[in-house]
Amino acid sequence: MAYGKGRSGAQALVESLERAGTEVLFGYPGGNVADIFDRIPSARFRFVLGRHEQGCVHMADGYARATGRPGVAIVTSGPGLTNTVTALGAAYMDGIPLILVSGQVPLSQIGTDAFQEADTTGITRAVSKHNFLVQSADEIPETVAQAFYIATHGKPGPVVIDIPRNCQEEITRSAYPERISLRAYHPESTATSRDMNRLARLINDARRPVLYAGGGTIAAGAARDVAALSRKASIPVATTLTGIGGDGAADGAHTLGLAGMHGSPAANRAIAEADLLIALGVRFNDRITGKVSQYARKAKIVHVDCDPSSIGKNVPVDLGIVADVKDVLTTVFSRVKAADRTEWLEKIRSWRESGRIAEKPSASGAISPRELMEAIDRRTKGDAIVATDVGQHQIWAAQMLSHRRSRHFLTSGGMGAMGFGIPAAIGAAIAFGGEKRVVAILGDGGAQMTAQELAVAAEEKLPIAFVVVNNRSLGMVRQMQDVFFAGNRAATVFKGKYLPDFRKLASAYGIRSRRVERADKLAAAVGAALSARGPFLLEVMVDPEANVEPMVFR
Amino acid sequence: MKEETYRLNCFVENRPGVLARIVGLISGRGYNIQTLNVGPTEDGTVSRMRIDVLGTRRVVEQIILQLRNQVNVIEVVSRRL
Repeated sequence: MAYGKGRSGAQALVESLERAGTEVLFGYPGGNVADIFDRIPSARFRFVLGRHEQGCVHMADGYARATGRPGVAIVTSGPGLTNTVTALGAAYMDGIPLILVSGQVPLSQIGTDAFQEADTTGITRAVSKHNFLVQSADEIPETVAQAFYIATHGKPGPVVIDIPRNCQEEITRSAYPERISLRAYHPESTATSRDMNRLARLINDARRPVLYAGGGTIAAGAARDVAALSRKASIPVATTLTGIGGDGAADGAHTLGLAGMHGSPAANRAIAEADLLIALGVRFNDRITGKVSQYARKAKIVHVDCDPSSIGKNVPVDLGIVADVKDVLTTVFSRVKAADRTEWLEKIRSWRESGRIAEKPSASGAISPRELMEAIDRRTKGDAIVATDVGQHQIWAAQMLSHRRSRHFLTSGGMGAMGFGIPAAIGAAIAFGGEKRVVAILGDGGAQMTAQELAVAAEEKLPIAFVVVNNRSLGMVRQMQDVFFAGNRAATVFKGKYLPDFRKLASAYGIRSRRVERADKLAAAVGAALSARGPFLLEVMVDPEANVEPMVFR
Repeated sequence: MKEETYRLNCFVENRPGVLARIVGLISGRGYNIQTLNVGPTEDGTVSRMRIDVLGTRRVVEQIILQLRNQVNVIEVVSRRL
């Protein structure tokens, strides 16, 4: 396209975002993005106004996790940008593709401590995959194209584009590139046919193999391939927290569930006893491995990941394959022999039985987390998108809900960013145009960190059930204090029972709500929350003494 | 594992911010750069950074892999001093 008379950098940005496939832009205005906002009403994408920049970026993140397409957000300079740091970090740690456009003071004022100036590239360096400081309007189309490429190739991640105000105002004729040329960035597979044969041979020779799927499996769209291999060769599958759904819901006999610190006994025992561990798109994070020297000691470890720096980083491996997880699985599938492994699967079945935790009913007769999760599960049947916040409720949701599909469990795993749940649920609901039921499972702590975003759910009339799992405490840390600090519950128990009154908070945003305190009222309340046409807040008063079990620590 | 000095020769795109990114990647992990030398190459769009860093082989290998992941890094060559 030729731009004879040219157009402003702001207009070039909007056009470039359109060209890159942006459907929704989440954001918050400000002085140093005023030129861009002036062009937004005539853009082809939808704009969603958040209420805090952290919320805007978590929304873009939720959109990306639910769809697999990059989320896009825009904020102003200075405080607008610094408010996004936590949310960028959450996306970065979990490898979520995202583009953040930030305004910047004019180039001539950079470094002068101008009003709302911040060193954006400096601040975001540690929480983004890459960042750009645009130097002229002419650079904008190419920079946008490169940013989308970087965000979505190799291990996905957030990319920041910082645009000084004068570059938004300047006239440019430069066009969106037809092809993207990055001189130094060419993420590629180094896997060879020999690697594939070796992997197939290891699987064929193994007696006690375990597949272990992480977020990279979901990013690669390989959940079904994991399930197919699992069925063909009778290999049980464990997942990480961010890999939930990445096992393609293998099938009953092969599903181990969550591995690691709060994982199922069957998953952890299977990994401890395995003679072959096939790790797919994982990082071997410390929440998974515990003490590395004790981890999967009897197993040969194969690690498949698109990020070469991830392989061998935390756990030494016998075979590292730098490649797309889906490519590896489809190649290896035909070379792997069908097998029954009845003895191994029988052992796992027995661990699953013996590992079942006997639920003790709470002394107070209060609602147990399991009763709540089962009530939700009966209504959704695993079909709703679930977004969680961070804490006990997050692990309960991971352990106790049934997970049938990938991209249906959105959670901040690596960063563990409280405040993620409400905006991520909103981003996911917007991605599906309000056509898909979303359940936000929140703690009473994290819900207060981004509660202001409820306004967006109300404004957009999104079908989200906000379930506040209220234990009047910061339960995960309270539990840690009980175990490791002799029950010294310092700063983890809120004083008032209804502080805040979540029903009044919902009503301040025009959101319908209910509160349940007794198990016999639970089913009806969950039913109301999950059949509401718009947003609904359900506050569930659960047993404040309930713990996350099991908890493995070494 | 014992710590030794490694010399990393990084060929990078000659752009603002690249030096800060590379130094940040190393120092952000708590490793001290002993010598840092940055200069042009015959190709004006490429700079060479010579970085001496003390660390175990495992850690230095990890640093090299992460340097290669950087969008502006063209190549990293290393040797033990």
